[in-house]
Amino acid sequence: MTRLYGRLCLAVLASVLIASPLFAHHSVGGQFDTGKKIVLTGTVDRVDWVNPHIYVHLRVKDETGKEAVWRLGTVPVGMARAAGITKESLLAKGQIVKVTAYPARDGTQLLGFLFRVDYPDGHFVQVSPDRE
Amino acid sequence: MRSFRIHFVAACAVMGVATVAFAADAPKGQSDKAPVIPRLADGHPNFSGVWVRDGMGGDTFGGGKRTADGSVCILCPPEPLPGAAGAPARPRLGPERPKYKAEFVAKVKELDDNQVEADPALRCGNPGLPRIGAPDAIVHTSGQIVFLYNDLHGAAFRIVPTDGRSHRTDAEETYLGDSVGKWEGDTLVIEAVKFVEDTWLIDDGAFHTPDLKVVERIRFNGDKIEYQVTAHDPAVLAEPWQMRARNLKRSDKPLHEPLPCIERDLDHVVDRTHHDNAR
Repeated sequence: MTRLYGRLCLAVLASVLIASPLFAHHSVGGQFDTGKKIVLTGTVDRVDWVNPHIYVHLRVKDETGKEAVWRLGTVPVGMARAAGITKESLLAKGQIVKVTAYPARDGTQLLGFLFRVDYPDGHFVQVSPDRE
Repeated sequence: MRSFRIHFVAACAVMGVATVAFAADAPKGQSDKAPVIPRLADGHPNFSGVWVRDGMGGDTFGGGKRTADGSVCILCPPEPLPGAAGAPARPRLGPERPKYKAEFVAKVKELDDNQVEADPALRCGNPGLPRIGAPDAIVHTSGQIVFLYNDLHGAAFRIVPTDGRSHRTDAEETYLGDSVGKWEGDTLVIEAVKFVEDTWLIDDGAFHTPDLKVVERIRFNGDKIEYQVTAHDPAVLAEPWQMRARNLKRSDKPLHEPLPCIERDLDHVVDRTHHDNAR
């Protein structure tokens, strides 16, 4: 229980995200291009509510109608729980949500870091302050 | 595997017995004066309960920043987070890190530099003792104490005899070692030996040898538990390493099975950026 809050990247991720707008030189920046934001609109197919990081599977349809599922990593479960976020809230009851994400630096397609989710009723969940 | 199951079943049985014992031993009607130390039938302190770290972890990330419409910024608490501009200095492991003999400093650095590949704990491995930290729940009876861990990698447990017996002669190397406890007044002192070699004492390449010995000291400090750990590995350490003491406060929430641990990030890290494990 302690470790669900205090372990693996919680404190460091927190200080890194806050201290650096680019999340540079640490794990998030090592995996995702925090200098490039992409906006995706779709429905959440699945939420992997697992350690060490939550993954959200977002089904997105492009302008041609072709569907793809993005895998979006985000904060650890302990951090989400502390903020009152649940697996169900991320699933959003199948509503269309807008997700802001950072793409993978290694070029892996359909992989990103979920930075923010905007829900149809106007409320949002965001990972850290927006420095832009 | 069979041995593991036997121990696990034993731990569960002990939990059941100890829960009853703890309920019987727990003080009723705490006064507003100094907290009464709960005690076992044999008079020793009873550390049974679910414990959370006092002053770090959930307290630090308690809810983010919320607005009236239900929006939340997870890492935007009212006060600056440790490490952020304007925040008070947060205790870091730097000066408290294990001190290695000169001939091993380069090895620590090499492991640290290759941490993303070298650190087994980052890939859902058992971090081992002492890195796993204080237990999340304790089931305590006369002659035996059981530590339960809800760790990021999964569940773990230790059954520690406190009846004066010695280490097992047939103990094999494990992540959490072979432990025996003894009492020094109201302080329980646990000595653990026989560790696998591939865990680290703490982050950043702090390796150890199979001859590692870990000594834990547990006592009540008011209504909290003070948990101290010292690692002895004279073959590589310049001096015994004492981890920063932890204060644990009692929780009224039950301990549940940990979530699955599925690591899928590290293969996509394109540089050697560090991925620390704050504890």
